[in-house]
Amino acid sequence: MTAIEIRNLSKAFGPVRAVDDVSFSVESGTVTGYLGPNGAGKTTTLRCLLGLVTADSGTALVDGRPYTALERPLAEVGAVLEATSFHPGRTARDHLRVICTAAGLPVSRADEALEQVGLADSAGKRVAGFSLGMRQRLALGTATLGHPRVLILDEPANGLDPAGIEWLRGFLRSLAHEQGVAVLVSSHVLSEVQQTVDNVVIIARGRLVHQGSLAELTGNGDRPVRVHAADAARLAPVLEAKGARVEQPQPGVLRVHGVGAETVGQAVLDEGVLVTELVRERSDLQEIFMELTREK
Amino acid sequence: MTALVRSELQKLFTTRLWWIMLIVMLLFTGISLGFLIGFAGVEGAQGAPTLPGRDTLEFQRSAWTAGAGSSIFVMVLGIIMMTSEYRYQTITTTFLATPRRGRVVAAKLLAGLLVGVLFGVAALLLTAAAVIPSVLIAGGELALTDGGIPRIMLGVVATSALYTLFGIGLGALVRNQIAAVVGAIVWVFVIESLLTAIPALQEVGKFTPSGAAQSLIAVQADTGFGQADLLPSWAGASVLVAYALLFALVASLTTVRRDIT
Repeated sequence: MTAIEIRNLSKAFGPVRAVDDVSFSVESGTVTGYLGPNGAGKTTTLRCLLGLVTADSGTALVDGRPYTALERPLAEVGAVLEATSFHPGRTARDHLRVICTAAGLPVSRADEALEQVGLADSAGKRVAGFSLGMRQRLALGTATLGHPRVLILDEPANGLDPAGIEWLRGFLRSLAHEQGVAVLVSSHVLSEVQQTVDNVVIIARGRLVHQGSLAELTGNGDRPVRVHAADAARLAPVLEAKGARVEQPQPGVLRVHGVGAETVGQAVLDEGVLVTELVRERSDLQEIFMELTREK
Repeated sequence: MTALVRSELQKLFTTRLWWIMLIVMLLFTGISLGFLIGFAGVEGAQGAPTLPGRDTLEFQRSAWTAGAGSSIFVMVLGIIMMTSEYRYQTITTTFLATPRRGRVVAAKLLAGLLVGVLFGVAALLLTAAAVIPSVLIAGGELALTDGGIPRIMLGVVATSALYTLFGIGLGALVRNQIAAVVGAIVWVFVIESLLTAIPALQEVGKFTPSGAAQSLIAVQADTGFGQADLLPSWAGASVLVAYALLFALVASLTTVRRDIT
């Protein structure tokens, strides 16, 4: 089921085309990564989707309706936008209770949500004393108050320590894969979401540059074979004779493009070269990401 | 809508600002009352008392207006109710919970109205605690339900409520907390004071919120320039309501259309 649908969305701030004819959709039960460098238009897209910013043209729908037309928005969509959007003098519990009241949710949800994000012990503390990681958890607690079927997160990993990021991954995956929630999560660091997302949407300078599964993204790349051998120089001409393109990034290391690991292994055997490492390089997602989003 | 108003009141009462403002407002009112009671009936340089004696109805009338002088504090409270949402970006969360922004503004104005009434009543209670004993001790006849006192009480509460609305409207327009508070202080203490005190300017001054409020509480204060030129109280009330509606309109229009980035 399509939970989020963005069609030909455009928004300019003065002369800057922040979002330029962007279209993509997010299915229930999946985690979609919305990726792009800083300033690519990720936040603007999400804010248009949430009715905070009015798009110049195009549509952004949640469950087939614009956000502003939702009867009980927090019960349908949860959003984490900035880690700083709390009144510093208000306690975590009061922050959530204020929202529960406005959204018509039972106030008991406040403590349940705090429990869920691991902030139960800090419920009565003023937010001013919270670390960035605690604020992110509180923001996530805010987003899940109404048990929404759609979750939208803008750079949620900012400020989380490695353990927090690991926790966040598990949290998002279980929401999507076990409870069928549609999760859209933005990030400017691909490696941060790489292990969490099912699909990726990549945006650069306001325009969509890629949409598809993570596997499709890596499939596009060439995967060279890396060989570590003291006598690498002897191996290179042999491989080139077999049609490979060989580069030598440093003495004793070859990167072999255009042929499989088996061909390289055969060459090693034929030449009787001592090899200390022979590996098919994992396609470097970060590199593909950089390539896709590079200034042209 | 009730839920939204409750949520707005919750926002105010879960932070410390409201009681700090309440204490400051009561202190300010208390100081005015202290002067009024302390110098009541004391003879000035010319031999005639500058302020009416504690046993007179005039004394009671002017004492009951003490609370109206602290309208700046409820105005600042109103400003902060609105601008702190922008300052701390909680406006995002607020609009996510209630994407129909007009309803948020309406709830804020209603909550502000209630808080303003509450502050006005608090000022009246303090006044009662000071005025009633002083009149009784001085052997005067206590007037609470006649002599124009009920109208003055109502005026104090209405002024307090409406100034909260002014604050919310100004906050929605300016959004920058410091700028809005400074603007309010300059307006109340400089511009309005001049316009209502200088006779030549009173033609304009009586149409300012404070001029209109004065007509409501009927402060016949002699500022040294003779009696102030004021509107009749019904017209003063209409002017205040018109201001409140204007500020509500400003608050809605500026809030509903803006992009929250």
